[in-house]
Amino acid sequence: MVEIWIDDDRVEAKDGQTVMQAARASGHEIPYFCWHPALSVPGNCRICMVEVEGDGASAGWLDIACNMPIANGMRIRTDSPRVLARRKEMLQLVTLNHPVDCGICDKAGECTLQDYHYRYNGEPSVSRDAKVRATKHHALSKRIVLDNERCILCSRCVRFTREISKSDGLGIQHRGDHSLVRAVENGAFERDPYSDNVIDLCPVGALLSVPFLHKARVWYLEPTPSICPGCERGCSVAIWHRKKAWKLNRLDPAANARIDRVTPRENPAVNGPWICNKGRDLAAVFERPRATAAMIRGAAVELEAAVEQARALIAAARHPAALVSSWGSNEELAAFHAAFGARFSCHVKTDHLPQPGERIEDELLIKPDKNPNRRAATALYPPLPEATRAAFPAGCDLVLVWGEGCDFDALPPGANVVYLDAWRHPAQGRADVFLPISVQTERSGHYTNFAGVVSRFEACFEKPATVADAETLFVALAVPARARAS
Amino acid sequence: MTGTKLLMNFEVTPTSHCLADYRARGGYATLDKVLREMRPEEVTKEVATAGILGHGGAAFPAGRKWGVIRLNDGLPHYLCANADEGEPGTFKDRWILEHAPHLLVESMAIAAYALQVRHAFVYIRGEFDLPWRRIAEAVEEAYAAGWLGEGIAGSAFALDLVVYRGAGSYVCGEASGLLTSLEGRKGYPRNRPPRLTVRGLYQMPTVINNVETLANVTGIVRDGAAAFRKVGTAKSPGTQLISISGHVQRAGVYEVEYGYPFAKFIREDCGGVLGGLGLKCVVPGGISTKVLTAAEIEPLLLDHASVAAAGSSLGSGGMVVVAEGTCMVRFLQVLVRFYHHESCGQCTPCREGMGWLHRIVDRIVAGEGELEDIDRLVAISKANDGTTICGMGDAAGYATVGIIAKYRDEFKYWIRNGRSLHGGRLEAVDHEWLREAALHG
Amino acid sequence: MKHLIPEFMAMRRRLPEGFEPSLVLPCLRRIQEDRGHVADEDIDGLAAWLGVPRIQIEEVLSFYTQFRRAPVGRWHLQACRNLSCSMRGAEGVIAHLEHRLGIEPGQTTSDGRYTLSTVECLGSCGTAPVVMVNETYHEDMSPERLDALLESLSR
Repeated sequence: MVEIWIDDDRVEAKDGQTVMQAARASGHEIPYFCWHPALSVPGNCRICMVEVEGDGASAGWLDIACNMPIANGMRIRTDSPRVLARRKEMLQLVTLNHPVDCGICDKAGECTLQDYHYRYNGEPSVSRDAKVRATKHHALSKRIVLDNERCILCSRCVRFTREISKSDGLGIQHRGDHSLVRAVENGAFERDPYSDNVIDLCPVGALLSVPFLHKARVWYLEPTPSICPGCERGCSVAIWHRKKAWKLNRLDPAANARIDRVTPRENPAVNGPWICNKGRDLAAVFERPRATAAMIRGAAVELEAAVEQARALIAAARHPAALVSSWGSNEELAAFHAAFGARFSCHVKTDHLPQPGERIEDELLIKPDKNPNRRAATALYPPLPEATRAAFPAGCDLVLVWGEGCDFDALPPGANVVYLDAWRHPAQGRADVFLPISVQTERSGHYTNFAGVVSRFEACFEKPATVADAETLFVALAVPARARAS
Repeated sequence: MTGTKLLMNFEVTPTSHCLADYRARGGYATLDKVLREMRPEEVTKEVATAGILGHGGAAFPAGRKWGVIRLNDGLPHYLCANADEGEPGTFKDRWILEHAPHLLVESMAIAAYALQVRHAFVYIRGEFDLPWRRIAEAVEEAYAAGWLGEGIAGSAFALDLVVYRGAGSYVCGEASGLLTSLEGRKGYPRNRPPRLTVRGLYQMPTVINNVETLANVTGIVRDGAAAFRKVGTAKSPGTQLISISGHVQRAGVYEVEYGYPFAKFIREDCGGVLGGLGLKCVVPGGISTKVLTAAEIEPLLLDHASVAAAGSSLGSGGMVVVAEGTCMVRFLQVLVRFYHHESCGQCTPCREGMGWLHRIVDRIVAGEGELEDIDRLVAISKANDGTTICGMGDAAGYATVGIIAKYRDEFKYWIRNGRSLHGGRLEAVDHEWLREAALHG
Repeated sequence: MKHLIPEFMAMRRRLPEGFEPSLVLPCLRRIQEDRGHVADEDIDGLAAWLGVPRIQIEEVLSFYTQFRRAPVGRWHLQACRNLSCSMRGAEGVIAHLEHRLGIEPGQTTSDGRYTLSTVECLGSCGTAPVVMVNETYHEDMSPERLDALLESLSR
């Protein structure tokens, strides 16, 4: 344990820490661009300079906090006049050639440079010379666009590809104020499944998401905590959508149910500060065409009518089976088990398989099972075997299919099919009863990941009016055994 | 003459750089003696007692640097001779590489023995051709004769010496930039801590010394620290190789005993200013040192204390003589163009600041300067003082502040009148080149 | 590049264990000597042989002034324009070469024989002004000596 003072506060710091680490751990703010808790320390932005007070015999000195080892008795000032003057100077230099693009830059509203400029400088440029020009719309990959004029060369993106995703996909070419971040020429960055994390890491609007480009101002959006269903790691994410209280919501109301973007939510137990690109693309998953109409043998009916018919089929079934979703929440599974666990022969199916070219597994985040809650489901029921037919009991006369990924041709030919799903599939017309259900973003609940960590997701949107929560349907469809007699 | 000679103390002939000639001068006898009679720590002690100051520009006591290396710590140690010599005005290490390469090899072997180094390097700037060939040949001769490799001089000491060529970058002359380049990467300097003597080449303890510093080691160990301290002054023992150029009659490399009178050196030993012109100012030790006017150098001696008291530094010994009538605005323009070109681009103040300095001076030269530009140049220099990863930002600042402090009037004149006070001249005489240039428009 | 591997292996033998990445600069220099510049396939080959990330080699090629990824003329004339050379006539040297060759710095003559560049300090200030032609320093240049140099290069 080492005793230091930061701005006259006594701080107990750990051996081997830097002043930056000790300051953050004790709630003292020191500004930074290039430093990041999960990356190596390059010490290049120079904005974290602090003052080390002299001991009377020698004058104090200034140096960067991110690379400064703590020493017992050290007295640090993060806000002395010398520090504030230096900080302002460094900001003048960072913004010297930075284009005043705020009016058209997606990063506005969540930009570290904007925040620091107003907090620590706040004055117009003192330069009489034109700003250095560079490439403004460089396709770093299909997903990420780079504006080199905005880039402050903090190297966070480069270090991420070296140290975290290990794709070695990015580098800095040339030198001096001609330096340019560029992707390696063999396409490794394009293939890096973690590439989009550099968008979050970038402290300015240099690295921007192509799908999100110019779509929305961040101050009209709010993040809802959720979980990525892309694999069994269940990374914590933030799903961004229009603020419910935004007064312009009445314009284009369909956009109120839109996922504008997905970013990581820091979770030390699951994903740290990162997610993979699949999680960024959740809009493509959740916004596929929805099944909104209940059906009996392909004919659209009112939901209540379909539920009644389903109840009748379930009551009459003598050897019912169920294919259980690996995307169901813990709450949905509990309701399912209460309704059907005793009577049905249940197996857990694989709703989603890996796509061609998709990374199966790695040492960072990606897990091989591309479903978010198999673990909770298989705690209740066995997985569906390869030889699907063998999973059904002899004389099976009803199959309850819950969720995607069912091979309808593999079901027992004579059995009735009651099918619950959220997204439109052609097989829905073939089912005896089809019931449309809500998706993850329309309700709250929990998933249990591959390591047993239970995490909660919150509802972002209202569900469509004609659609029911699976949890509610399971309760409604639960038919006690003796009801069969009537 | 300019005092005792410790390095340039033999006649340069077409073969004086070869092993046979070097042996005839007593070469490798000291290495032999060291390996037979001295312990590593005794060698370091001799060098520390001699008090030799580094000749690369920082004048850090070499023995103190060596003393940080912990013997028997179980880690590989590395020794590197800094032969990058990129500081404009400096070409004295080149003399050693071309004419006394074996002196460097023997000295490095002695140093390697003292520091428990098994692999040593000479990092030589990529542009050097003859100096590289000379040191590479010397290394091969030394291997063939058993002064490098396994079991040197029949002892248990082994040393491999690799000559490593740079590829065109001034910051690779900065010690940490040099190591990063030696690791096969861009020559990006590193933040300290950790010191390179703790974590250097591939994160192992490394000593980097300038070529001239190392070249002195053989003499120090052969004749003893006391003999070395008899040369020069108390605070600056020994000699300095000075490379003198610019508007001087006899440019070249001279070995000067510390304490020798500054003005006498220029006037008598180097033949004075070109064309008999008056002396305007002198850059004492490479462009990164503050310029001194003719009046200021009159009372000075060529030693660290005297030049420091005048507000400058002997630096790398790269002396540039400037004649009356030279335009100091164009002078600064050349310097800031250089610093801008060489900035590695890592840290904010230097990356942005060097370009800013360059653009402002270019604008003044183009006749579009404003008076506040002068103070802005000083402010940018101050913003680079003590804020950068390596010393290049500070260096550019010293050069700029030094010139403006003494010649602000020339800048004011150009800004007010849209032209140079001295016809924009950098050449001293009505140089044949000026007539050439005028001919071709 | 494959034919250079025996040389690369000889270089490697002088280096300690784990110093393979250090071979980037010397190998690139040797490749450039051999081909005249460094080609894309050389980068792939060297990255694979050394086991270093390709991006490291790309960065190195762009950082150091002596490496080039495109050919230059048969004779690369590099004129220093730093301090001492400027004080001893570098501007005249450059003007003379521009006039004689009909090109500006950064350009190559249409017959592919000469490329003209300006460079920073070559460490030859005592014999200024200096022009480096390919690997060789030509010092104490005057109009006559420049013309003699061009004459000898043209043969």
